[in-house]
Amino acid sequence: MESESTNELSAGQRAKVRRLSVPKELTPDEEGGELNIVPFLDIITNILIFVLATVAVTFTAAIDSSPPASGGKGVRKDIESTALNLTILIVNDGFSMKASGGNIAPGCTGPGAGIAIPKRSGKYDFASLNACAAKLKSASPDFADETQFYVTGNPSTDYQTIVSVIDALRTDMRDPSRTLFTDVNFKVTL
Amino acid sequence: MTTQRASTAKYKTELRRAIRRNAAEPEINFLNITAMLDIMTIILVFLLKTLGESSAAVPQNDDLRLPKSVIKSAPAEEGTVVTVSKTQLLVGDNKVLNLPGRESLAQTGVGAQEKRSGPTDLYIVKLGNALQAARKTDRVVRQAKGLDPSSSEAIIIADGTTPYRLLIEVLFTLGQSEFGKYHLMVMQGKEIPQ
Repeated sequence: MESESTNELSAGQRAKVRRLSVPKELTPDEEGGELNIVPFLDIITNILIFVLATVAVTFTAAIDSSPPASGGKGVRKDIESTALNLTILIVNDGFSMKASGGNIAPGCTGPGAGIAIPKRSGKYDFASLNACAAKLKSASPDFADETQFYVTGNPSTDYQTIVSVIDALRTDMRDPSRTLFTDVNFKVTL
Repeated sequence: MTTQRASTAKYKTELRRAIRRNAAEPEINFLNITAMLDIMTIILVFLLKTLGESSAAVPQNDDLRLPKSVIKSAPAEEGTVVTVSKTQLLVGDNKVLNLPGRESLAQTGVGAQEKRSGPTDLYIVKLGNALQAARKTDRVVRQAKGLDPSSSEAIIIADGTTPYRLLIEVLFTLGQSEFGKYHLMVMQGKEIPQ
């Protein structure tokens, strides 16, 4: 059988071109040498997102203080004689307040015996406590720079109430830009 | 019989052309997020590590629920952590003692048997011992950091229902163990009750 050269491919040549030009499918062991970690990363990402979502992230803050002294002597800090020396006593019936001038009378009206801020409807009246602290701070220009105050309570007073008292004395509710008493000290009257 | 065939050169040219024609373009039929996942994994591991190590991360549960406050100051990172839950007293991760019920705590604190000299004393002996050990380490750390080693700082993490009596006992014991500054941890986000 003779073959003749021409410009046209023969049927056999065309079939061979078709067969050889089909792209080869690579077997898994021929596909590069890298470890496929994509499924692993998918799992890790899902787990981490789940962990982050379930962890109870709390936004915390800190109230700074110094040690209490036994026997009701207060903290070991020098207090000027002209200072207000505000003390809040948390008792079962409300807040009793004491300052340099003596005990604060009920209703924060001036010196006098009694509980300065009695409970209202069985609950501690933090708004009145704030108003009274603001009033006392304004009573004299000598108190303007005073930021220290003392807190003490009944042995059964819970920590949340003490923190709420500290909050109530921090800034003036009617004028939040006005700072009242920010430095808390704990007194012991047990 | 004569068969008509193209020359070898022509055949090879046609073959190369066909291979080029059939060569599949690199298809992008999905978004390649591998690089992003790499970065995310590293960032998330880093975040979890820092979150776990931070003292600001206080797990909230029925035994320990911090009081809420309007204070927005950043929580302190430096200091020995003293935890007062409803049932236990801890220094760092070590349990110091189990606490009695709230009624008893409100009246006599942790109890006379745990005190130095009777029920009216405020010094909790086991807590004092644990704090002195912590203070010894902290003094060295503070010296190495160039901080004032004469007193240490403590971070108090206490449950919101802790009675004042117990709180004062803990603070007093801290004072007696040369801890001169306390950071009382609270949870942000509560308006002052009206």
